[in-house]
Amino acid sequence: MTTQLPPGIQLETVDDRIMTLNVGPQHPGSGHMRLIIKVDGDYIVSCDPDPGYVHRGEEKMAEYRNYIQNIPHLERPVIHDSCNILYPYCLAVEDLLGIEVPERAKYIRVIASELNRCVYTLYWLAIYGIFLGHSTMFMWPAGDRELFIDLLEAMSGARVTHAYLVPGGVRNDLPANFEERCLRQVDYFEKRIKEYQAIFYQNPVLRQRTEGTGILSRMDAIRLGTTGSVLRASGVDFDLRKKEPYDVYENLDFETQVLKEGDSYARSLIPYLEMFESCRIIKDALRKMPKSGSVRTKLKPNPKGGNDEAYRRVESGRGSLGFHIISNNRPEPYRVKISVGSFRNLICIPYLLKGEKLGNMPSVYWSLNYWPVEADR
Amino acid sequence: MSTAGGIIRALNSGVKHLAVKRFTLRYPEQKLKFVGDGFQFDPQTGVGIAGLKGRHILFHDKCTGCQLCSVACEGIAEAIGMVKVKETWKHNKKAIMPQIDYGKCVFCGLCVDACPFYALYMTNDYELSSFTKSALIYTPGQLAVKPNISQDVEIKIGKRGATHG
Ligand code: SF4
Ligand code: SF4
Repeated sequence: MTTQLPPGIQLETVDDRIMTLNVGPQHPGSGHMRLIIKVDGDYIVSCDPDPGYVHRGEEKMAEYRNYIQNIPHLERPVIHDSCNILYPYCLAVEDLLGIEVPERAKYIRVIASELNRCVYTLYWLAIYGIFLGHSTMFMWPAGDRELFIDLLEAMSGARVTHAYLVPGGVRNDLPANFEERCLRQVDYFEKRIKEYQAIFYQNPVLRQRTEGTGILSRMDAIRLGTTGSVLRASGVDFDLRKKEPYDVYENLDFETQVLKEGDSYARSLIPYLEMFESCRIIKDALRKMPKSGSVRTKLKPNPKGGNDEAYRRVESGRGSLGFHIISNNRPEPYRVKISVGSFRNLICIPYLLKGEKLGNMPSVYWSLNYWPVEADR
Repeated sequence: MSTAGGIIRALNSGVKHLAVKRFTLRYPEQKLKFVGDGFQFDPQTGVGIAGLKGRHILFHDKCTGCQLCSVACEGIAEAIGMVKVKETWKHNKKAIMPQIDYGKCVFCGLCVDACPFYALYMTNDYELSSFTKSALIYTPGQLAVKPNISQDVEIKIGKRGATHG
C-alpha cells in the first residue's frame, strides 16, 4: 500500500550516485545565498542558485519616501559601491524633475564613483584571494582600499555609505588640497597594484586553479544577458561609460578592457585592469575639472515629479545598474525598479558549474562579480 | 614562464615586503585626522562644507524648534525626537529641541541639510559606543557639548610604502 501524498507534493527521485550539497546560506564562501549543488563524486552535475536571503524591500521602501529621503537607504544594497548605485538614481530623478547639473558637480561625481569602483573592486579582490586560500591577497587589497576610503572620507565625510551624490549635484564641494592628496595617493596606488601581478595574477598556483575553468563563450555571455566584467571577459566590448556616456565620461580619456578567454582567470583579471583605467579617469577628471563653481543645483523643498517616468543606467563595479522611476505628481515616486548587474550575472552559475570539479566552485562563483545583497535588493 | 620560476617570483614579491613599513593604523593609540571640524551646511547657498559626518552638535542659541530636522529624519531613521528643554529662548517659544538616538542614526547628515537656521552641524566625534541603549540617546544638553578629541594621523607616502603617521 502506498501512502497518499497531499496534492502538489512530489517526492524527489533518489539517485544512488548523486548527492545534494547545500552551500550556504551561512557558508562563508557563499555570502548570504545558497547554491544547491548536486555532485557525482567530485563532479558537479547541476547547480541551482537560490538567492533572496537578504531581500530588504528597497523598491517598496522607496515608494514611501521623498526623492531626498530615499538617498540613504538606496545605497545600502552595495555599501562599498554606494556612489555608483546612487548615480543612476540621481540621473533618473534629474530627468524627472528637469534639473540641470553644474559642470563641476559632474566631474566630482565621476571622481567619486571611480574612487568607489576601486574600493569595491579591491574588496571583491580581497575576498577572491581568500576564496582561493591566498591570505596575502586578502590583506593587500584590504589595506590598499584604505587609500581610497581615505579620499572618499575627505570628500564626503563617511568611510562607507557616503550619501554624497544627490539629484542636482553633490552634497558638498571638495575640501582644500584634495586634488594634491588625491593625485599623491592614486599615483602611489598605481605603483602598488603592479605588485599584485607577481604574487597573484602571475602566480602559477592561481593560474592553474582558474585558467580554463568555467568558460563562458561569447555567444553564451550575450544570450544569458550577462553584464559588466563577465561580459567583457568573454570578448564583448560593452561598457556603458563608452557606449552610453553619462555626465562627462565622453570627455575623459580611458579604454575598455576586453579579454577573449571567458574563463575564471579572465573574469578576475578584468576588474584588476579596470582599476588602472579608473586611476586614469580620476587623474584626467582632476585635470579637466573646472576649478571653481557651483556643485549643487538648489532643489525646491519636497520636489515633485510630473506624470512621467525615467530610466537611466550606469556602469557600476558589477555591470550595468539601472533605475526605472515612475512618478505621479507626488513628492514620492510611484514605483522604483532597480535593475542590478549581480542578479543578471547569477544566471550563468548553472551553466558554468555543470561538469566542473567541486573544488572549482568558489573560483567560478566569485569570479562572476556577484554581490548577494545587491542582487536581492 | 616556468612554474617554479613563477612561484619564486611570487615568494620574492612577498619577501620584499619585510622591508616595507607597516600600513596598519594602530587605532586606539593613533587616530585619523579628518578634514575640518565636521560636516556643515550653508542653507543660503544650498551646499555643504566638507567634513566628517560624526556626532551632531546643536547650537541652543540658534535652534528655533522648527522641527525640520526631525521631519527630514522621519523617512530615514526616525532618530530625531523633539523634546522639551528647560531654558526658554526668545527665538524658541515652544522650548523644544531635537534629541538624537544614535542607536538609530545612520550618519547621513540630511538633518543638517534640512536645518535652515545654522543650528545643527556634525562633528568629528565618532566614538559613541556605550553599554546601554539609553546612553545612546543624546539629549539637547549633551548635543550642545563640543567634543574634545585629538586626531592627528594622516596617510604618508614615502620611499618604503605608505604608512599611517
Ligand atoms: S544623520 Fe541622518 S539618520 Fe542621523 S539624525 Fe540626521 S537625518 Fe537622522
Ligand atoms: S536644529 Fe534646526 S531644523 Fe532642527 S529644530 Fe532646531 S532650528 Fe529647526
